[in-house]
Amino acid sequence: MLFAIVLLLTIGCIVFVVVREAKRTSRPDGLRGRIRDRGWGLLLLPIAMAAAVMAGGAHGLIPAELGLAALAIGFAPKLAAKLVPYGLLGLAIFGVMLASTYNDGNTSQVQYLFVHAVSRGATELVLAEAALLFVAGLWLLLRLDAPPAGLVRALTARWLGSGRRGIAGAQALFLIPVAGLIMQLLGPGNWFGWQAIDGLDAALMDLTLLGAALVLIFRSRVWAATLAAAGLLVLGAYGWVIAVFWPVVPGFEYGFADLRNSPAPSPLWSVALEGSILLAAGLWLAPRAMRHHLTDLPDPELAARARQLTQRVQTLTQTRHDAVDTAAAELRRIERDLHDGAQARLVALGMSLQAAQRLFPTNPEAALALVAEAKESSSLALTELRDLVRGIYPPVLADRGLADAIRALALDTPLPVELDLDLPGEVELPVASAVYFSVAEALANVTKHAGARAVRIQLSYSSGMLRAQVTDDGAGGADPALGSGLAGVERRLATFDGILAVSSPPGGPTILVIEVPCALSSPKISSC
Amino acid sequence: MRVVIAEDLFLLREGLASLLKEHGFDIAGTVGDGPSLLRALIELRPDVAIVDVRLPPAHTDEGLRAALEARRQVPGLPVLILSTHVERLYARELLADQAGGVGYLLKDRVFTDEQFTDALRTVARGGTVMDPEVVAKLLARRASQSPVTRLTDREREVLALIAEGRSNGAIAQRLVVSDKAVSKHCTSIFAKLDLPPSGDDNRRVLAVLAHLDS
Repeated sequence: MLFAIVLLLTIGCIVFVVVREAKRTSRPDGLRGRIRDRGWGLLLLPIAMAAAVMAGGAHGLIPAELGLAALAIGFAPKLAAKLVPYGLLGLAIFGVMLASTYNDGNTSQVQYLFVHAVSRGATELVLAEAALLFVAGLWLLLRLDAPPAGLVRALTARWLGSGRRGIAGAQALFLIPVAGLIMQLLGPGNWFGWQAIDGLDAALMDLTLLGAALVLIFRSRVWAATLAAAGLLVLGAYGWVIAVFWPVVPGFEYGFADLRNSPAPSPLWSVALEGSILLAAGLWLAPRAMRHHLTDLPDPELAARARQLTQRVQTLTQTRHDAVDTAAAELRRIERDLHDGAQARLVALGMSLQAAQRLFPTNPEAALALVAEAKESSSLALTELRDLVRGIYPPVLADRGLADAIRALALDTPLPVELDLDLPGEVELPVASAVYFSVAEALANVTKHAGARAVRIQLSYSSGMLRAQVTDDGAGGADPALGSGLAGVERRLATFDGILAVSSPPGGPTILVIEVPCALSSPKISSC
Repeated sequence: MRVVIAEDLFLLREGLASLLKEHGFDIAGTVGDGPSLLRALIELRPDVAIVDVRLPPAHTDEGLRAALEARRQVPGLPVLILSTHVERLYARELLADQAGGVGYLLKDRVFTDEQFTDALRTVARGGTVMDPEVVAKLLARRASQSPVTRLTDREREVLALIAEGRSNGAIAQRLVVSDKAVSKHCTSIFAKLDLPPSGDDNRRVLAVLAHLDS
């Protein structure tokens, strides 16, 4: 029966590998690879032999299995090599099952590799052999990259690697045997040696403990490892207490030691040994767990903070880039305006005056006309400079601050503007300028595109946030993604971590909200 | 006529002083910052003051503030504000007391001495002079709305000149028409804007400005 299961498992593995192999077209490259693969595959022969012997030897299975193995080695060396770890694992599982049947009182004779198993006495040796086979099978599985190797690797990496949470999963897993031992000691009739609790209570307590252990392990490995270390130390010490004071403490079970069941109670040294092992494990784990408490903040907080900071750095990099870009473009525009405007006018003015000077003695009237022209030139230069200055930094903003600058803006808008300005202090100049130009852009859009009859501007400040809202009753349909104007406003505000929100359904109304975090200084006091 | 000049740029201050002396004005004093301007206005009581909006110490709108404060203490004290830029906001503040004797001009206007000295005399007499740019802004804002839209082009031209503070005679000269034609336009404008007709030049300017700025 057991052997049939093992056989089925092996056949299942073979089918799986064959199917997988059929999908793969690449063959082992080079002679060396071939021989090596074939060499590993040869292990299939002794495995098949061992399996056949275990099945009782008399079967016609021996030639069949050997033949199959030989065919695989001969015609599909790579496949044979891949089958080896599954064979080893299958034999290991069979060994464990065999040992358990002996433990249950089975007495049939089975040759398990080098052990001739006849009774319960041989189970330890069978188990040891099975463990060796299991380890060898697992090692080969990883070595040959057989199908579930990736999964095994991932799992081992996850539990053994110290990973991003700082403590290895395997260390945290100590909590499970610790919880198990506590549950055993809390078990019915075994409540740390006292008959104090009935079965149901104990079961509930066990469940709660196990649940808590699992939650701890998966939520916080550091805390799980800490608790595990504490449990190991306490339980190990408890083992020593039992060993020293026995038989003062009434009989019960402690780990593998059964102190209750006469006729053959476990010797007390085994309790001391178990306690020592637990103490050793606790002493090994404790400093590793404590280190994390001493040096690290709680991990999730750190991670969240790191994420936040990363995002912040990205935003800052972007907005700094935009700000530098905008500033450079602005300087370029100013340079061009000065070059084509005021500078050119001044050159013309100088030339007119020069000509006038030359003409004065001979033709004073023509000279006068030239002087008049020069005056005109200087007037135009002034006008152009004025417009330029207004575009760089509106004088009224410098004079009076944001609220009055927006009032002035409203006065210059050819639409009725309703103002609701409530600013308890002064905004620092760079922010004021950004908000001013944003509102100016919004008003310009309303005037140009919206076909609005009225505009409302609200300006307010609360809990560190400056908020400006421009509402119009126009046609709506404004979209920051379409016009470069609003996109520019967004960039301008982003430098100060400000945001622009536009709600503009077709048919209106359009509501444009600007929010910038900033501090207010006390209101400006007149110097006169 | 005694004039106080408040201007922080030395060249401009001296230039203005010599220009005004040439035109027969008497320079009562020149100052370069806001506080001393206020003191000079109260103590010297000039016939008219020429004030730059932006003055030390803060280089914001000290000049304007000092002028407004002086007019609060001495109602109707004639002040002509000069600036490199004009703001309707400031014009409105200057006109708010309806007392007259107020001018608000771009610094460029100084180039045209006759117009500038005319404006200075008008202000000294208690008249009101607004820069054409301020008036243009007032008219632009009203352009989309009645009742200014009901005016003919010529009437709008006349209205702009009235708002700048010019007398009928000056308007006639400027538009090269007769005085009679100008007063006919005026009557028509005042009727269309529902303003009470006024013979007093200054009352007329203030009424028009108030109407446009409403």
